[in-house]
Amino acid sequence: MAKLSLMFESKLVKEVPIGNRPVTIGRAPDNDIPIDNLAISNYHARVYYEAGRLVVEDLDSLNGTFVNDLRVERATLHDGDSIWIGKHNIKVDATADAAIPWDSGRKAAAPKINETMVLDTKARRDMLQQAAALGERSQFSPGRLKMPTLVVLSGKLDQKEYLLTNRLTVIGKSPMATVRLRGWFKPKMAAQINQRDDGYYLGTGDKVPSVNGTPISGTVRLNDGDLIDVCGVRLNFIFRE
Amino acid sequence: MEIVSGGVTDVGRVRTNNEDSYKILEGLNLYVLSDGMGGEAHGEVASGLAVDTVVKYCSEAKADSGVTLVGTAPDHFGEKTKRLQSAVQQANLNIYESAQKNQAQRGMGATVTTVWANDDRLSVAHVGDSRAYLLRMGNLQQLTSDHSLVAEQVRRGIITPQQAEESEMQSVLLRALGAHPEVEVDVDEVGIYPGDILLICSDGLSRMVTEPEIAGTLQAETRPVEAAQKLVDLANERGGLDNVTVIVVRFQEKAKQWFSWLWRGRAKKD
Repeated sequence: MAKLSLMFESKLVKEVPIGNRPVTIGRAPDNDIPIDNLAISNYHARVYYEAGRLVVEDLDSLNGTFVNDLRVERATLHDGDSIWIGKHNIKVDATADAAIPWDSGRKAAAPKINETMVLDTKARRDMLQQAAALGERSQFSPGRLKMPTLVVLSGKLDQKEYLLTNRLTVIGKSPMATVRLRGWFKPKMAAQINQRDDGYYLGTGDKVPSVNGTPISGTVRLNDGDLIDVCGVRLNFIFRE
Repeated sequence: MEIVSGGVTDVGRVRTNNEDSYKILEGLNLYVLSDGMGGEAHGEVASGLAVDTVVKYCSEAKADSGVTLVGTAPDHFGEKTKRLQSAVQQANLNIYESAQKNQAQRGMGATVTTVWANDDRLSVAHVGDSRAYLLRMGNLQQLTSDHSLVAEQVRRGIITPQQAEESEMQSVLLRALGAHPEVEVDVDEVGIYPGDILLICSDGLSRMVTEPEIAGTLQAETRPVEAAQKLVDLANERGGLDNVTVIVVRFQEKAKQWFSWLWRGRAKKD
């Protein structure tokens, strides 16, 4: 179970555990962590679990929410991170969750190949509805349109943010790259972000990018709020609604 | 860019006839693959019709830009992509009409996955679960979304990719050519970098061989026909439960000619 520790000038002010409900932070007294300070918005930010990850989300505050010196809209939190809201530091205390690797090993016993069937419209609708009753958890929920976006946190690029509309996105110096790096010695294709059925995956190019501080090996599925570092540029991967 | 391609098709180890069809038109840089379905060898008729129609339509469109467009593709796509979409629509119509006229062919259908390469990009059109992949800097990326029930369930977060692979419903398709007079064709455009490798395959490959193995084989074997054959052999080694067809296309930087200005006046090879 994770908890947030509100500090002010190195003194512990309040401790709040994070359970199933989001933890809200702001000036209004009905927040889980109320902070009476004019630099803080009434409903400034909130922290919650999403698909096993701890996430902090800025609620359109005036002065912003910072994680370890970087202003964020939404970011994944890890044990030891510091959330800065105004002059207040909120320490994140969480046991690290082991990441479940996507296993791309040998195929299991050969699957049954049935005769190919084409479902007609009604049968298809029925089947999808039945399955959907189990709950939709995807990054591609048709109900809410979520746009995958790369927000530039540091580094000189031609745009402040990039909407990922293609299946393949290249980060590099090449004129065809979506995220164009500037500089003499930058590679044509430093890294790539590709769309699969179950989400967006970051892969290496000429360089090895890092996700949340860890260099990747192979490809890594990106989660809402992940921080990507490559070639001196830092990007925040988020889903905008 | 320089383009080198090759393809192989095989009946597999279990089926008695091959209902996959494919064609490579080097002059047009057009690649078409189709996996047919329907009893009594009608799958062969369907997939043959799909490939032949796309080839014919695109060849005619290249020669005469006034060729009618069938169906529509979103406006932001280029001319070639719209043509490719039309070609697939026409293929669907041909299969549908053939089945209407021939009682015996009722219920026949096919998938189709086709790529038309330009200088700097690929036009990709498909219906069904035959796949196109792009291998770029060691990363194999699927360019097409399978129109299968299990893939749709993964996209909606109902099951995981792992569960999809183990599902018994993998052969259930949501879209195929020949089922209705009109079909929704997925189209896309993908930028091409020198060094990229395109792979088009029927599910006979993707069900038997893992993606890392496909990527490894494409990197190890640089000649397209040999690479395609190696993949087919792998699929058969694993059981060869279905027909398997593979097309491999390599995009390479044109070898730079020193003092090419000396050769000015010589006819340029396209």
